Amino acid sequence: MSEAFIGLRGIYKRYGDLEVLRGIDADIKKGEVVCVIGPSGSGKSTLLRCTNLLEAPDEGVIVLDGKEIDVKGGDVDYLRKNVGMVFQSFNLFPHKSAVENVSMAPQMVLNRSSKECEERARKLLDRVGLGAKVDEYPDRLSGGQQQRVAIARALAMDPQVMLFDEVTSALDPELVKEVLDVMRELADEGMTMIVVTHEMGFAKEVADRVIFMDGGKIVEQGPPSEVLGNPKEERTKRFLGLVLEH
Amino acid sequence: MSVIIKQYFDFNIISDNFSEVMQGFWQTILLSLIGGFFALLWGLVLSLIRQLPGRAFAPLRGLAIAYIDAFRGIPMLLVLLLVSTGLAALSSDGVIPDFIGQPTFFGKTSPFWWGIYALVITYGAYMAEVYRAGLEAVPRGQMEAARSLGMSHGQAMRRVIVPQAVTKVIPPLLNDFIALMKDTSLVSVIGFIEVVQAGKDIQSATFNSSALTLGAVLFLLTTIPLARIVDKMISGQSSKTQRAIP
Repeated sequence: MSEAFIGLRGIYKRYGDLEVLRGIDADIKKGEVVCVIGPSGSGKSTLLRCTNLLEAPDEGVIVLDGKEIDVKGGDVDYLRKNVGMVFQSFNLFPHKSAVENVSMAPQMVLNRSSKECEERARKLLDRVGLGAKVDEYPDRLSGGQQQRVAIARALAMDPQVMLFDEVTSALDPELVKEVLDVMRELADEGMTMIVVTHEMGFAKEVADRVIFMDGGKIVEQGPPSEVLGNPKEERTKRFLGLVLEH
Repeated sequence: MSVIIKQYFDFNIISDNFSEVMQGFWQTILLSLIGGFFALLWGLVLSLIRQLPGRAFAPLRGLAIAYIDAFRGIPMLLVLLLVSTGLAALSSDGVIPDFIGQPTFFGKTSPFWWGIYALVITYGAYMAEVYRAGLEAVPRGQMEAARSLGMSHGQAMRRVIVPQAVTKVIPPLLNDFIALMKDTSLVSVIGFIEVVQAGKDIQSATFNSSALTLGAVLFLLTTIPLARIVDKMISGQSSKTQRAIP
């Protein structure tokens, strides 16, 4: 347990009578890439949104780098500054150019100089392959390009952990690879990542661990070769059967 | 027929009294611009108070909602009478300072400023509702992205949400401004001479309505271009959103 870099302890989340998360415990090591899979409605996106408290769980504790954060009234700022998030719908700021999208938060939140932030933003955009698009506005970029800007934007805060919430689900098939490639590079560089995804190929290839969720609980977890290649639980088998069939 | 034309379009009356009517119209413009400016600000403040998050701000939110409901539901004429009679009495009783109760800033008379008060109080409430529509039209993901980057609610509002909301609602705000401009004529009832009162005075002296006709024409020369600008902006906005959907 001591080597957990980010830990979720007893996370419960209810919407009225609907119990979306029913006691999630997970420990993620530094540099580990965890892919969370499961049917829709299984609570995997909610889990991710609870991890940086965009959604406040009803119960539980989140541990980041040895610091415990109570899900009610804990140090949200500490958590959000250290945990980056990328969304399915990109959520770029449409009134800002690509470079402004990336440089804005560090300037405002970390009080860095605008020059420093802009240089850094250009470097990050270059790194995700968008060096030529720095001054474009989001509506002039393809979905894949927008998502790469969103990744650069999250990285600009120098997060310790990155959360990816079905980041390729809204993309045209031919644009998926460019985003996954960036994520693969990040993983290779040792970023700690929690990835909610339907991309089984990516999970198989990049993940250190795969978590299968259903009904608000973790049903099965382990190395991808086991969970995806040789699942033990009946529910995992059924889900993979449906996903891999087509 | 010629009697009718003479009653409304007597060019001798118009040219004799042209400068008097123009002076009245200048007062109308001043009321509109100063009142409109502060109503725009006050409306934004009200709408932002209404959007404050969390339980701690519930009383403030309640106050803002009560204010907006109240002053959207009371005729501006009534507000104007309440303000002018009430403030004058209170300041002569020494309850409130004269510069609030009987203001004479920039050499303008108290009735002018009471008119400004009433316009701002009433149209602030209308405009708060317009801003609210704009704020609610900004997708939820924008706030989530800003918060996930570590911005506070206030920072996210100022830099991400409000700029997008305001650009969406410029046309309806201009519509409210047109309505405000017409309602400046109400200030005549507390003894302020703006364009309608100027025309009425001339009508009483000459038994001819041509000065009032001139006032109407001056209004149209201002409001019709404004209405065309609104139309242009709306059609521009809808064609932009249509382009954005692939």
